[in-house]
Amino acid sequence: MRNFITVVFDDKSKAYKGLHALWELDDTGEITVHGTAVVHRDDEGHFEVDSKETHPVFATTVGVGIGALLGALAGPVGVAIGVASGAAIGAATGAVIGGVVDLDRSDTREQAVVETRFVLGRGQSAVIADVSEDWISTIDTRMEGLNGIVHRRSKSSLQDDEALADGFYPYDDYLYPYEYVPSRYSTHYGW
Amino acid sequence: MSTTAQAHSKAAAHHATVKDALDHARTAAQELHGALSDAAAKRGGAAKADLEAIPLKAKALADSIKSSLVAQNAATKKSLEEAVTYLEGTGRHVAEALKSSGHAAEMSIQKAVADARASVQKISEAVAAKRSAASTPSLKR
Repeated sequence: MRNFITVVFDDKSKAYKGLHALWELDDTGEITVHGTAVVHRDDEGHFEVDSKETHPVFATTVGVGIGALLGALAGPVGVAIGVASGAAIGAATGAVIGGVVDLDRSDTREQAVVETRFVLGRGQSAVIADVSEDWISTIDTRMEGLNGIVHRRSKSSLQDDEALADGFYPYDDYLYPYEYVPSRYSTHYGW
Repeated sequence: MSTTAQAHSKAAAHHATVKDALDHARTAAQELHGALSDAAAKRGGAAKADLEAIPLKAKALADSIKSSLVAQNAATKKSLEEAVTYLEGTGRHVAEALKSSGHAAEMSIQKAVADARASVQKISEAVAAKRSAASTPSLKR
């Protein structure tokens, strides 16, 4: 089963543990990770996507339009929001997605929660990943142990959103399989 | 060792070899895309020097994948065949970029990066298909 997952954590360091755990599951062959990204939302509500410019464990810059993917993962409401933010960020080297996605508005937030239960609150971080998994319990159990909350959308349902996004369908280009370099993680965190 | 045990051992060794080959191809494709992306971000002579090595690397990887196709199941094989097509496209577009200049060269490099990215995706999907097949219990004994 091919899914896009978003795992929300209350702080950045836990998000990196979640990222590391995902790649460990890939390494043991329990899942296959096709690509990952780590997104933070600061206290002012701005989104920041980590890349090799902002965090040493990454190998590349992130692709254009991560805001659109983030929005798409939040469901139909998010698609509209995300495309707007994707357009705003342009080339997203060391991307900061700011000022456009107003998930603090109560009507937007409530609608997104009703539709998908996925909202990245201020101060929270999320790992976004494109994965193949035979059982969802593998990731769910591992992330639960890290206090991460897993939100999942099938790739096919995201493809169905294409119409909502007015033909804008770049999901495959956002996440990079080698975005994360495990050996750098060990070095950076002194493991 | 009994004949059955030998057969199991042989099968396990075979699976390990295939897994290694796929994993190697996945890593090589990721590195190729990374190198190409980095080269595309450069300008002028520096980019050209980096790009010149790409067609050969893409061809070597495509040939390596082709040689491993016979050992794969249908789903894995299909993804790998698509990966080969994208790798061949990568090499072709880079060669075109090296022969041209200006906007034409930039367009060719963009196409090459897209094809390299797609090849990584297809190999990754092949790995997933292989793992999924291995984890599905067979009804046959």
